[in-house]
Amino acid sequence: MSTYEPTAADFAPLDAQSAAPVLVRPSLSYWADARARLGRNPRAMGSLFLLLALGLFTTLGPVLWTVDPSAQNLDRISEPPNLGADALLIDRGQRWAGVVVSGWPAAPDPAWLAQADRPELPAPEALRTVATPHTWSVRLRWDPVANAAGYQIYRNRYEPKALNELGLPLGDSWSGAETSYEDALALEPGVYWYSVTATDGERESRQFQTLRVEVARALPLETARKAGLLADGQGQPGDQITLPAHPLGTDYLGRDMLSRLMHGARTSLFIGLLAPLLYVLFGTTYGAIAGFFGGRIDALLMRLADFVVALPFLLFMILFRVASGVEAGESGITAILVAMILLLWPATARLVRGQILQIREEGYVQAARLLGAPQRYLIFRHMIPNTLGVILVTLTFAIPTAIFTEAFLSFIGMGVAPPTPSWGSMCFEGLKSMLNSPHELFFPALMISLTVLAFNLLGDGLRDALDARMRARE
Amino acid sequence: MARKAASATRWLKLLGLLLGALAAPAWSAEGAVDFDARIIRMVLPQEPPQLDSSKATDQVSTRILGHVMEALTRFDAQGRLVPGVAERWEIRADGATFWLREDARWSDGSPVLARDFVFSWRNAVDPKTASEYAFILQGIENAEAISQGEAPVDSLGVSAPEPRRLEVRFSRAIAYFDKLVAFATFYPLKEDFYRARDGRYGADAEDMLFNGPFVIERWDHGARLEMAKNPHYWDRDKIYLNRIEFPYITADTNAALNLFKDGRIILAGLDSETMENALDQRWRIERFNDGSAWYIEFNHREGRLTQNWNLRRALALSFDTYELINRVIGTPGNLPGLSLYPSYLRGAEQRLLQEIPPPEPVTDWALARSHLAAAREDLGLAEAPELVLLTGNSPTANKQAEFLQTLWKEALGLTVRIDRQIFKQRLAKMTSGDFDLVAAGWGPDYLDPLTFGDLFASWNLNNRGRYANAELDACVRTAQNSVDAAVRVDAFGCIQRILLEDHAIIPTYERGQIYVIHPAVKGTIRRQTSPDPDLSRAWLEQP
Repeated sequence: MSTYEPTAADFAPLDAQSAAPVLVRPSLSYWADARARLGRNPRAMGSLFLLLALGLFTTLGPVLWTVDPSAQNLDRISEPPNLGADALLIDRGQRWAGVVVSGWPAAPDPAWLAQADRPELPAPEALRTVATPHTWSVRLRWDPVANAAGYQIYRNRYEPKALNELGLPLGDSWSGAETSYEDALALEPGVYWYSVTATDGERESRQFQTLRVEVARALPLETARKAGLLADGQGQPGDQITLPAHPLGTDYLGRDMLSRLMHGARTSLFIGLLAPLLYVLFGTTYGAIAGFFGGRIDALLMRLADFVVALPFLLFMILFRVASGVEAGESGITAILVAMILLLWPATARLVRGQILQIREEGYVQAARLLGAPQRYLIFRHMIPNTLGVILVTLTFAIPTAIFTEAFLSFIGMGVAPPTPSWGSMCFEGLKSMLNSPHELFFPALMISLTVLAFNLLGDGLRDALDARMRARE
Repeated sequence: MARKAASATRWLKLLGLLLGALAAPAWSAEGAVDFDARIIRMVLPQEPPQLDSSKATDQVSTRILGHVMEALTRFDAQGRLVPGVAERWEIRADGATFWLREDARWSDGSPVLARDFVFSWRNAVDPKTASEYAFILQGIENAEAISQGEAPVDSLGVSAPEPRRLEVRFSRAIAYFDKLVAFATFYPLKEDFYRARDGRYGADAEDMLFNGPFVIERWDHGARLEMAKNPHYWDRDKIYLNRIEFPYITADTNAALNLFKDGRIILAGLDSETMENALDQRWRIERFNDGSAWYIEFNHREGRLTQNWNLRRALALSFDTYELINRVIGTPGNLPGLSLYPSYLRGAEQRLLQEIPPPEPVTDWALARSHLAAAREDLGLAEAPELVLLTGNSPTANKQAEFLQTLWKEALGLTVRIDRQIFKQRLAKMTSGDFDLVAAGWGPDYLDPLTFGDLFASWNLNNRGRYANAELDACVRTAQNSVDAAVRVDAFGCIQRILLEDHAIIPTYERGQIYVIHPAVKGTIRRQTSPDPDLSRAWLEQP
């Protein structure tokens, strides 16, 4: 056996071999590439920023917009978005006793009533307001009508020209001498047309008297003090005061929509993010184990998954609630979370298992295995990056589903307990008044839609960016 | 290719046929009123479970029965009691006598006789019939014992000494018996017909006999019900309509409003949402008092915090009924809750509430807080207690519950948990006493204040809070047993005073409803007891 002895010539530099420049770029790691590709996807980046903004909206929002989300203000029910309004300060004082004309008969003359062809009663004369009409009370009075047994009071938003346009039948007085009415029914600032008719106890007259009334926005002194709009001892009835703004309007109990949306986001995003994250994580691990090991373990694990799929979600949801000792009127959020994690993972598990089974047999995995790669390497280098697409798709579908599930459960009374808001419960409350005050439904629905859309687009972008197979195509 | 085209044509033809079949009923659909044939059409909220008057409990059944049956007495359009099958009657402390009219007939032409009432009433108290309304006959001799199976059915204190004379014996005086007999359980039943049906009476149109202004001519279960004028009815000349048809059965109020809009039905109810829509459509909106009184009932059972008077007073003092009806409910027609008794009830001479005026409710948060402090001292509580408010699952109930929750939080710092339940579950929880406060309502069975007055007697099973007060019980007994109108009004006043002073309940409101009706239909009667709405004496006027 001879040995080669190196000479000095062996260590001399070579001559330049080629004129062509050497093309070298820094090795691009998997994650760096994914990040770069995500960055080039404007829709995904837009969604990402939208979600970040949403995060700020829920966390920083309530710090900046310090309106109590459950503070009712029955003065300002179902208001459209506004930037505040001026109101008249009033003293509520005693209820109005009304006007009873002394000496006037309460009921018609029986002899007159007995006539079959008696003439129709005339409309009450001199319909007028007493005191300044405002949103807390409109006081009306009129002159009594002979042979009247009572009066009917109507209210409309436009001027009535015919009987069918009198509007809402507010109420009646039960005596011919009672010639006043105080209206306080859900009054809003603006113009109303009041009409009064007389009735003889059997027939209501078709003659009506109408009055146009301009109603000013008002606020009782005590309410203003309670709400902190006035310091104690300040303010007098008749003063003007500026009411706080509601940039997104108010709901059916006069609660600030913006503040409710901010607080509602907490519930919705908590459930909407945490539940899918947890059960997708669990499902992925479960499916990966089943797919990777295969055989008996796989069969056993997947039968268990089949069993869980067969459980009815709603029924188990209710059982969890009962078993976890959540009483009526308490928030059932934790129960929803547990139920969703325990019942919704099999779909992910099945998908991941199928994917893993497929990848396990791929040439590059076999090659890696032949080269003696440890299982850890196989899983983290080959399996997970190749299944990430599937997992992310599942996740992006799971988040909207979870938000909707929470919404539905809140609606049937198994979710958040009032007055805690959640977007879902706000939507269902808004649905009832969709025609009259669409903003109550629109804003929470918009928030849900935006969130769901953002998650979907981001998921799309992430899938493209993380898909190892897409790398080769560039 | 040709074959493919041929099959496509065939499919198109089939599709055309299918569309045609779907569209056909829409073209031939009936309008809300037919002036020439004197027909009106309406919607039924649900299918009547059955139409045997001795077993009927729900509003739909009693509404239909009210059109096809006639009792001894009935209420007219002004709510006055008028003769029905009975021509005249007499109420005494120990019993009553009814003289039946000669011309009252069944729809098969046979006369309506006193024995038909005897059979019907015995049938209602018979434990074998298991009528849920058997209790309404209590006060007639032996009725209670029979329904508990302790006496034979024919020992009921009712007899027919003459074909057209009905004798009733009371075990206690029933001053309002003439009003009571207008109720559905007291309708007559013809014995041989009833027995021949062998338990199927009231299950179908042909399994019934009618003595009212109308007969049921067609009853397609779950789909359609049609009534036609009864040619044998004694007062048939006063009945204008030839037919009342119910081509739609749905509880969906929006669907009903759309049917009204399309001119298919004559009447539809409104709520705060559809009200604005009706205003824009320029429909004449009507209002009526549906008879029910609503209140917050406290749980007076041992161990409940709400047993404490100071706590109850604190809750009552912070509540304002005007705020509730004007600013929370927001539909017209609701009246303030001032008393247990609704405003339409009549006393001895005038309206009951004019004779025993309830105090004007006081809202005073400062006073309420001092009572809460006293309650905490009484109960030895370091912090403000937490209470459970049991409520229904309707949007209105929900709105009110949330209003109360925030109100009590703001006024008293009390935490109230809302327990929202469907009707059956709420009833079960009310019966078992699983609540601190419950939002409850009561509609009258008959037009006497006693239907409300005895609600909180210690023995009444509808007294869900188990309120027990010996003085109140004594007043209820007086109201039950006396025939003297003035004495009874005093007793009702005593009941009202105790309930309000002791804060056994917080009256919240008296419910009113609004609806729209076809302008040509006149003489519709809305009332507090069944049948409502009553169209038996309605007529049409061409606009």
